[in-house]
Amino acid sequence: MSQELFDRFSSPGVSRRGLLGGMLGGAVAATANLTGLDVLQQPALADTLKRNDRRVILLWLAGGASQLETWDPKPGRPTGGPFRAIQTNVPGVQISELMPKMSQRLQHTAIIRSLNTKIGDHGGGARLMHLGRRDESNLRLPDLGAMLARELSDPRSLAPDYVTYYTATEGRGNAVGQAGFLGSRFAPMFLTTEAQPENLSRLTAITATEDQRRAEMRSLLSQRFAAERQTGAVGSHDEAYARVRNLMAGEKLFDISDEPQAIRDLYGPTLFGKQALVARRLIEAGTPFVKISRAWWDSHGQNFETHLELVTELDNVMAALLDDLKARGLLESTLVVTLSEFGRTPNINASLGRDHFAKAWSTSLTGCGIQGGSVYGKTDPDGHTVADGEIGAAELFATIFEALGIDPQKEYHVGSRPVPLTDIGTLPVTEVLA
Amino acid sequence: MSNPQNLKVVKEQQQTGILFSLARVPGESRLFVGASDANIYDLDVMAEKPEPAALSGHESYVTGTVLAGDQLISSAYDGRLMWWDIETRQTIRSVPAHQRWIRELAVTPDGRQVISVADDMVCRVWDAADGSLLHELRGHAPQTPHHFPSMLYTCAVSPDGRFLATGDRVGHNVIWELKTGQSIATVETPTMYTWDPKQRIHSIGGVRSLAFSPDSTYLAVGGIGQIGNIDHLGGPARVEVFDWKKNERTYELADDKFKGLVERLAFHPNSDWLLAAGGDHGGFIQFYDLETGKAIRQEKAPMHVHDLALSPQADEIYAVGHGKIVVWQLAAEAEAAAAAG
Repeated sequence: MSQELFDRFSSPGVSRRGLLGGMLGGAVAATANLTGLDVLQQPALADTLKRNDRRVILLWLAGGASQLETWDPKPGRPTGGPFRAIQTNVPGVQISELMPKMSQRLQHTAIIRSLNTKIGDHGGGARLMHLGRRDESNLRLPDLGAMLARELSDPRSLAPDYVTYYTATEGRGNAVGQAGFLGSRFAPMFLTTEAQPENLSRLTAITATEDQRRAEMRSLLSQRFAAERQTGAVGSHDEAYARVRNLMAGEKLFDISDEPQAIRDLYGPTLFGKQALVARRLIEAGTPFVKISRAWWDSHGQNFETHLELVTELDNVMAALLDDLKARGLLESTLVVTLSEFGRTPNINASLGRDHFAKAWSTSLTGCGIQGGSVYGKTDPDGHTVADGEIGAAELFATIFEALGIDPQKEYHVGSRPVPLTDIGTLPVTEVLA
Repeated sequence: MSNPQNLKVVKEQQQTGILFSLARVPGESRLFVGASDANIYDLDVMAEKPEPAALSGHESYVTGTVLAGDQLISSAYDGRLMWWDIETRQTIRSVPAHQRWIRELAVTPDGRQVISVADDMVCRVWDAADGSLLHELRGHAPQTPHHFPSMLYTCAVSPDGRFLATGDRVGHNVIWELKTGQSIATVETPTMYTWDPKQRIHSIGGVRSLAFSPDSTYLAVGGIGQIGNIDHLGGPARVEVFDWKKNERTYELADDKFKGLVERLAFHPNSDWLLAAGGDHGGFIQFYDLETGKAIRQEKAPMHVHDLALSPQADEIYAVGHGKIVVWQLAAEAEAAAAAG
């Protein structure tokens, strides 16, 4: 990404480059006279800015990836399937042979092998793993992306706060993307295209000059209108226009043709690879949360063929993403999560498939705030149950928040009701935290 | 006299695990069965209480077992070929044969050559006597058109021992001259590969079985038709028959009776019919009249069938699959009793 493009979408005074290189001249008067040094001398603000540099990329493996063919192999067991386990670069830790690239990058990754989330249907499982808790009938909860957008976004950033891709059609309806009581400010930019959002470009019938004049006219009228009325609705209306114009200006963020061929080759030719590269461009420009959905892993038949395709792709794309983030100095501030709605049954059915299974499955956390090379939890020898360290969705969410420097017990208020980020008493898995 | 209308299960034997391959000792009910626990089981399936003896040495699913004289040759997903003495059950030789999963083994009618196909997309021809490599045949792309790893599932040798056929994930089939290792023809069966670009963005299917007709003129190709929901093996079991030298498809055998993969094909020795077996969650066995191209008998099998052996008189079928071994008889009861003495 060019310096120019980055700077357009980064908030002056708080961007990574801003902190490193001092303040850029900017439109935000309140921060215009701060230097990076000044900022860091104010502890509370420094913490905020430090946190605001943190990003999350969720690789959502929709349909349910098999833990046995990824993070928790059981070679030689009746349930193990035909893939071998391979040694990683972390002594004593093995993963599926389908992930040779990740096996040599595990120093950045923590594996949790002890999720028991109990819900074995796609819709229910996906909601739980997006919300971190069960739905409440009288409260519309925000999902992980919305909460992280709320906690990590910089209101002065021009980049979108929460972007989610779900291009395949299967399971898209289960792909929760809701800001709930946080309000539409933190709702996702939900993309179903391959890379570039639709209808983002300025209409070809309108010149850039005409477009600019129209915007100025709208702004002028809006200011006159607002001067006579003091309501929040006016500000919200203006903000909506501003965000739309930001998105239109951000069209290039979604265009990977700007990237060097070597980088595009690294991510590979598949849709998942291309979208992962867009994710890197977005977080580099300041988007705090990007979800790339790779559907569809629901391998009731031919599980091993399906995982040979999809885990091979995941291994390549995830390794490329981590390498790219690391090369840009972004890995320590970016948390990369792999997650599904559930895992898959240890038992192999007659179609050589594996079915839905929420009782004992795995996830991975890489990068920001994570103790790389750690493994938490254990399943029994055949993978039917959690043998040690059982956790649910809430504990996983608390771990994600903690890794990002966010207090999992932080409370929002809906009216007078306090609503913590995770249910009261939920503890993070400190064993995987740096 | 062999007749599909007489089809009858005469033995159904439970066996733990997934059974991928079998070799039958000629004239006997002794079988060598390749299993998912990495063992080969030696058993007399028609015994009152079969007592399987394990031949251990492979490290993954055993997917090929063939007999060449008094030797058993096996293949597995561990990429190795192993030679066994069938009387002592001792290993004679172990050969690292492929870089990736070996999907199937075939043996020439004279028992002198063994052929292996694997997901390294190479077909290798071996001297059955000493395990030396005779030919290395490369004619299948390592990746699908959609940038995923391809798979080389199946191979078959013609009854006259002159030709070899190989079939892959995307429905590409190559016919080779066995003596020279030269590719001499191709036939395409793209319907057997389903790429879902929209709903699920991955693929399923592939050519899973091949068989030459007794006069080697025709090549039958088995797999599964196009699938709407590729989470399951929900497409029609499919067979295409080619006059392969003319590259003409003579039959397209698929209907809605059974869904799933056609895992094995076998021609009647007089080309009276073609046998196809396989399955999805369940199993099937069906017979096609080669004059009309119509199904003449279609029955559920007790399990998803992975491999079978048709007796030389076509009056018995030994099959293995998901957790079971099954023996069918095709002769009328009186004939079978008379044949049994």
